[in-house]
Amino acid sequence: MTRRGWFIHFLRRSLGQRMGRVAVASAAVMLAAGVVVTALGISLGIGNKLGGELKAYGANVMLTPVEQYLDGSVLKELASDANVEDFSGQLYAAAQVHGAEVEIIGLDMDSIKARGWKPDGKWPGAGEVLAGSDAARALGLKPGADVTVEGTKMKVTGLVERGGPEDSALMLNLADAQRITGHEGKLSAVLLRVSPGNIDAAVAALSQKLPGVNVKTLKQVARAEESFLGKIELLMMLVTLVVLIATSICVSSTMSATVLERLEEIGLMKAIGGTKRDIRSFFLAEGVVIGIVGGLLGYVLGFAAAQAVSKGAFGSYISVPPYIVLVSVAMGLFIAVVSSMFPVFDALKKRTSDIFRGE
Amino acid sequence: MMFIEVKEIVKEYATATAVRGVDLSVDKGRWCSIMGASGSGKSTLLNIIGGLDSPTTGSVSIDGTEITTMGEDDLAKFRRERLGFVFQQPHLVPYLNSVENVMLAQYFHSLTDEDEAVEALKRVGLGHRLHHRPSQLSGGEQQRVTIARALINSPILLLADEPTGNLDRENTKLILELLKKLHTEEGFTIVLVTHDPFVSGWAERVVTMEDGHIIKDEPAYY
Repeated sequence: MTRRGWFIHFLRRSLGQRMGRVAVASAAVMLAAGVVVTALGISLGIGNKLGGELKAYGANVMLTPVEQYLDGSVLKELASDANVEDFSGQLYAAAQVHGAEVEIIGLDMDSIKARGWKPDGKWPGAGEVLAGSDAARALGLKPGADVTVEGTKMKVTGLVERGGPEDSALMLNLADAQRITGHEGKLSAVLLRVSPGNIDAAVAALSQKLPGVNVKTLKQVARAEESFLGKIELLMMLVTLVVLIATSICVSSTMSATVLERLEEIGLMKAIGGTKRDIRSFFLAEGVVIGIVGGLLGYVLGFAAAQAVSKGAFGSYISVPPYIVLVSVAMGLFIAVVSSMFPVFDALKKRTSDIFRGE
Repeated sequence: MMFIEVKEIVKEYATATAVRGVDLSVDKGRWCSIMGASGSGKSTLLNIIGGLDSPTTGSVSIDGTEITTMGEDDLAKFRRERLGFVFQQPHLVPYLNSVENVMLAQYFHSLTDEDEAVEALKRVGLGHRLHHRPSQLSGGEQQRVTIARALINSPILLLADEPTGNLDRENTKLILELLKKLHTEEGFTIVLVTHDPFVSGWAERVVTMEDGHIIKDEPAYY
């Protein structure tokens, strides 16, 4: 048998002998890696989701009212502004639908088609409605059903699920929404696109031109979202750190107990000529196996937990980047190997004669 | 120069002195027993001769190699290539069978060779217990596995610390007959530590220790 073959054979025998302890250590590593994957998955997944939404708009500037609504006349001003390449107004309002208060969003349907929405059904025209999935469930709406919004009978042409606030709203054409809610000519926000090389100047010019209107770049909006995300990430980092410390202590104590149990074995290996390096290799290899197994299981656990948290908190699943599996395994390896290292190094410092004397 | 030369060995611990200036020489191919009561310093002396412990002062040379000045890795290399150990407790790896326990010593030496390991076990009369784990072997059988393990790398010196300390008289005789055979037929140099006069009597020479000193050095009387 080659040296490597014997090494692997010995490792298998050794791990097989202590399946219970190996399982406990792997489970602790799995928990640690799982928490890291969950935290990373949620942070990255939500970040990507928000970033994707903003990108899909193609807009880089947003107008919002200082008070409750913008006047529709801003659209005329924008239409005549040479810096503005494209724009779309939106209206958010509450409306009575089948006896319940439901949020309705008035928008330019062409603008949301460009954002990649894919309704289950058809896009709505005048007098028609696109229902968010949660709102449809709550109101019992299906494509083709009639719905009465603020006393106006309309037809549901499709359903949509986005994992955002739209899911609990009804989407109407802007003019219908303004008319039905009595906010004719009013807007809640306008998303617009100005020449990307000239954003700051365009924003300054619009601010001057449109008094009583907040003109913000989407970077600023994104920054506010980033700040919110940053706080979530900080919280997750703290939780992750605490779990990491707790599980590292658990793995380390399991490893210490294993090494203590095998002190006689270490003494024997030294007596029959094993160098510190030879003996260390056996024990650290066990740490590597535990780290890889725990890391892979941690990825599965963390992925499932991240999806469950995302679905519960944000209403939709998130995409976890594939490289996270490597992060999980690396984390598992780090915890298991570092935790094994200290008790093994400590044991190797002992003299064989002291070990055999039980000191 | 003698095969084993121990010069003025002193071993002090924090609270006691185990060996107090011992000189000992052993010729190649001889069997020397070190006898004494518990705490006489005999096992400490054997550990120092085997490089498992270091003396506070003094020197040990084996076959012309001074071992007391060696670093840990050189000492490990010396042990695996030149020495064979048999202890009172067999110290077998519990999850390896007899052949694998012998092969572990081969692994640290160079390459493993299962046929050689099997031969070594047959040599000590364990051809029928090759794939049994230590828990499935009797005390005498376990000790014979340790002898096979000690011999597998063809050492120049066999060091035995109370090798029959846990065995009944019948198994003690079996182990001693095995050592005698190795000594007379294959010329092994043996240093054996024991507190039992029956065991020490199998040697050619008996050195008696008391309170860290050699108090007697005489031929065996059996």
